[in-house]
Amino acid sequence: MTKVIAITGKGGTGKTAVAALLIRSLSKKGKFILAVDADADTNLPETLGCENVKTIGDAKESLQAEITNPRPDNPDMNKESILQSKVYEIIEEMPGYDLLVMGRPEGSGCYCYINNLLRGIMDKLIVNYDVIVIDAEAGLEHFSRKIIRDIDDLIVVTDASRRGFRTAERICELVVELDSNVGKIHVIANKVTDSNKDKLVKLAEDLKLSLIGMIPLDPVIEEMDIKGTPLFEISDDSVAAIEIESIVQKLGF
Amino acid sequence: MAEFPFEISPMFEGERVRKEGMFVELGGPKSLGLELVRAADMDAIEDDKVTIIGPDLKDMEEGKTYPWAMIFNIGGELVEQDLESVVERRVHDFINYCQGIMHLNQRYDVWMRVSKDTAAKMDSFEPFGKAVMMLFKTELPFIEKMQVTFYTEKAEVEKQLETAKEIFKARDLRTKDLHDEDVDVFYGCTLCQSFAPTNVCVVSPDRVSLCGAINWFDGRAAAKVDPEGPQFEIAKGDLLDASTGEYSGINVVAKKLSSNDIQKIKLHSFFDCPHTSCGCFEVVGFYIPEVEGIGWVNREYQGMAPNGIGFSTMAGQTGGGKQIVGFLGIGVNYFYSPKFIQADGGWDRVVWLPSMLKEKIAETIPADLIDKIPTEKEATDIQSLKAFLEEKKHPVVARWAAAEEEEEEEEEEEEEEEVATAAAPMMMPAAGYQMPSMASMPMMPMMSAGKAGGIKITFKKAKISIERMVISEKKE
Repeated sequence: MTKVIAITGKGGTGKTAVAALLIRSLSKKGKFILAVDADADTNLPETLGCENVKTIGDAKESLQAEITNPRPDNPDMNKESILQSKVYEIIEEMPGYDLLVMGRPEGSGCYCYINNLLRGIMDKLIVNYDVIVIDAEAGLEHFSRKIIRDIDDLIVVTDASRRGFRTAERICELVVELDSNVGKIHVIANKVTDSNKDKLVKLAEDLKLSLIGMIPLDPVIEEMDIKGTPLFEISDDSVAAIEIESIVQKLGF
Repeated sequence: MAEFPFEISPMFEGERVRKEGMFVELGGPKSLGLELVRAADMDAIEDDKVTIIGPDLKDMEEGKTYPWAMIFNIGGELVEQDLESVVERRVHDFINYCQGIMHLNQRYDVWMRVSKDTAAKMDSFEPFGKAVMMLFKTELPFIEKMQVTFYTEKAEVEKQLETAKEIFKARDLRTKDLHDEDVDVFYGCTLCQSFAPTNVCVVSPDRVSLCGAINWFDGRAAAKVDPEGPQFEIAKGDLLDASTGEYSGINVVAKKLSSNDIQKIKLHSFFDCPHTSCGCFEVVGFYIPEVEGIGWVNREYQGMAPNGIGFSTMAGQTGGGKQIVGFLGIGVNYFYSPKFIQADGGWDRVVWLPSMLKEKIAETIPADLIDKIPTEKEATDIQSLKAFLEEKKHPVVARWAAAEEEEEEEEEEEEEEEVATAAAPMMMPAAGYQMPSMASMPMMPMMSAGKAGGIKITFKKAKISIERMVISEKKE
């Protein structure tokens, strides 16, 4: 069975970095991964060290133009098979994992049909992998559209700020409203320091959020960020990588 | 089932052969890939035969991409040319049933990959060809004999491509020539019911879905794969009225799917029991009572139509799955239909189009009308529209005189007008007091206000909002 992990949180909390580190750790364990960037502000490819990727958004746009062309050359074309081909073509094949970028939001026309095709294609695609790791924006748009239907583990990343935790709380509420199939909701506290650690634990308890890990503020990450080095290349003994290792274990790997 | 070196199951559909696990790639974005099914005489087919022209699997280099063409010949008492495309559509399914073989796209865009695991189990494409043909003959028993030729040499593939393109072209011409009367079933689509609960989209060869994305062929393909899915068959039933496009089968489904809200849907009618409008439509048509004509505005057009309303306002009123007489949502392709609102005069009734839409569909506008239909460049309000139509002698002008006569008769009889679900709330056009003609728009032809004699207005289920109304005595 494929396990679907979605990572979300307030902007700036480091959710993309956490996603990249999770992908790194899982691929080292020999898991066959599909990494999905479901944030319109596409950052995951760069964090993983992947450039110039095509997106589902672009593919949808070009197919939308094609399928709503009032004078198609071939009215009997197999639209599902063409969209599937486009999706498979934009999947970036990296060593150890595949990357799929959702990209820009859709235009003003009606996307019911194309999204319905896409749902079917994603259902079939997902079973090809051991794990799907999704970097998702806090609004969880692609889940509300049910492009990806089920999530086993939803991880909300927050920093030490109260607002970060509030976002986590809101996301938990949103999940209930979405009526999507979400297994467990976890919280990862990021950029944790000795001085804010206790406060964070208490905050999580107060808000009844299940804290699955606390990633210390890692100078190595900051340095890599400044240099523009992909986080995928972080060393195993960095403090963040060690904590991610423990989180991955708690997730059942 | 005969023994094959790889497993065969629908379970493998959607299987992705990754670059790392791939032995060879056939066709695809980096090369040429073709598939074609042709009907042939029984005598010309050697059943179950696989011919390979060019390097076979064992002669291929790992990790490389090769050009690829596969031509299937099918024969059988019931096999005819028209079945070719139906059979060809299944190539994608059946190849994907083969473990370790990925098949994507169609026609001259075919993209395949063979996994290392599967390549290790066979030297040749022969068992693969036999497996696919076995699936065809099992699932489509009208195929009595079948053979296939695989081409893997660039020059040969190119040659096949050239011939195939001509065949596809001829096939497409036949496809485009399919009309409502040629088929027994239409297709329904309920994808939009999540936000337009009573919407019943009926897709026929002469009427594309309102969103423009689903044509009759898409309906057929989807309904075959998942008859319980959002696209399903509608048995046409009896043709009740050829002009309006009323079929007993559509009425049955309309009632059922709208929870009895909608009794009848007439496919090619604008005024009488028109098609429901979901909200997704690409274009909305609107009746302009002052000129007895119909204007159309597309989603992309940002400006106002001559009736003083823009697309989004009209869409807001029309959408939601209701039959709103006086408005009609359509897909752009419907302009190309030979039955385009034929019950209400077809193109002769079209009096306004945004220029961008007019340009886009220019080829389908009858030549004698193209200069008579104004855009926002020629007409921005009712007066300029009226003047333009009159000057260009638009066929709709003939209706004006007729309408006036009728009106007089009506006045004498003092008939009670029945008003269908009103197309109000509309902003009043700038000119004067026009409400009576607005409210009764579908039933009543031209009616100018200010005339002597009483009129009776019956509003039913009408929502009218008027920001400002000034009634003053007419100065003679």
